[in-house]
Amino acid sequence: MSALIRKDFYVLWKQMRFFLLLVIVFSVIGSEFYTIFAVVWASMLPYTALAYDERSHWDQLAAMMPYSTRNMVLSKYVLGWLCMAGAMMLCLTVSVVRGMVLHTTPDFLALAMAAFIGIFSIDLTLPLVLRFGVERGRMGFLLVIICVAILGSMLISNLTILRSLMAVPMLSIALGAVLATAISIPLSIRMYQKHW
Amino acid sequence: MNAIELSHICKSFGSFAIQDLNLTIPCGTICGLVGENGAGKSTTIRLLMNALSPDSGRAAVLGVDVSSPEFRAVKENIGVVLDEAYFPEVLTPVQVGRVMADTYRRWDQKQYEEFLRRFDLPEKKPFKDFSRGMKMKLAIAVAMSHHPKLLVLDEATSGLDPIVRDEVLELFNEFTREEDHSILLSSHIVSDLEKLCDYIAFIHRGRLLFCDEKDQLLETYGIFAGNAEQLESLRSEAVVGREHSGYGVRALVRRNEVPNGLELERASIEDIILFTVKGAKQG
Repeated sequence: MSALIRKDFYVLWKQMRFFLLLVIVFSVIGSEFYTIFAVVWASMLPYTALAYDERSHWDQLAAMMPYSTRNMVLSKYVLGWLCMAGAMMLCLTVSVVRGMVLHTTPDFLALAMAAFIGIFSIDLTLPLVLRFGVERGRMGFLLVIICVAILGSMLISNLTILRSLMAVPMLSIALGAVLATAISIPLSIRMYQKHW
Repeated sequence: MNAIELSHICKSFGSFAIQDLNLTIPCGTICGLVGENGAGKSTTIRLLMNALSPDSGRAAVLGVDVSSPEFRAVKENIGVVLDEAYFPEVLTPVQVGRVMADTYRRWDQKQYEEFLRRFDLPEKKPFKDFSRGMKMKLAIAVAMSHHPKLLVLDEATSGLDPIVRDEVLELFNEFTREEDHSILLSSHIVSDLEKLCDYIAFIHRGRLLFCDEKDQLLETYGIFAGNAEQLESLRSEAVVGREHSGYGVRALVRRNEVPNGLELERASIEDIILFTVKGAKQG
């Protein structure tokens, strides 16, 4: 699987340089919305990698190589998680530096929310895109992203309520994310097999 | 052991179907798979690499059933070049090498770098800026840098200039000097196949019309050139296919079915293929 992730990072590298700059700018601005936006955007980078795969017909060549279907699919999830983790680390670093200057504290709740939204959006959209391809899966993908955006803005507007509830909803959301991923991965594997 | 064994493979796509395909390629040989566009060559390759599941029949490569979980490990011993190189276009040959080093356990970086030098490929140029010939050379370098025992080449020589093509064919020839090394090479360029192959398999509209040793084919068939009356005097079993022109008739005939002493021209593999198709059309 490391080969597939390495290949995707090479493919995304040019995009990532622009993305890293954007994350830094967002983090300096320092709003929860921008943090969530940056992390969710990072979670969508696997779709860019998939679009490149489709354009070059990489899947046809990969089918001839010793990659399992499971690894082909799982690599896209791992890529999404790694991109999100990178974006979160960057947001956190910038907000720590910003906090040292402006005497503010990093917003860990916004970061956690961003991670959950990112994970859920990957879990919901990857099976669709793997089944129908990036072009045809775009409609379903857009629908899910709009729902995620609405959910994200609702959570942002209710951050104060969430902060007061803290542990219980966070744990529930974390369990929900694990459950959604546990369902999404086998579903994606089946969808990918159907696509081929 | 056979390098490739396809038995009674059927696969239907609606308007096109692979029908009862039987193909056996012994280890240590080079087999040329020839057929017109859409005849089923690439589909055959996808079936034998388990990139496509057959509706019925069995495929085995290097002695392992391709539908079994063990086949994934067997792919370590197979180098594949498809009709296009299909690497992501932003990758450079150096990056392709690093990806392949993580893909194949027996990846030989030195060998790969040697191929890049031999083919004069720029190491840090993005793949998208390569010509078709350069792309195919990179694909060949990748396919041969993990010490495969079987090469599966789908139109690997098309798009190469004659000098490079000759060099690549020599490379394939060197590869089969190891007695357990085999090649399945599909191509439109019949002269390449005639130069290189031990076996020729001809696929037409999803059906394998023949798969024989090249020398056997050349011994079996001859070209009759004469007039229509002379041709009609031959036994119908002797004539595989015919063509009429203003100067008379040419026909592909089976040497053992015509009278001794009848003068026949040497049939090339291309003649055998063209007349076989004509014979199939003439019914």
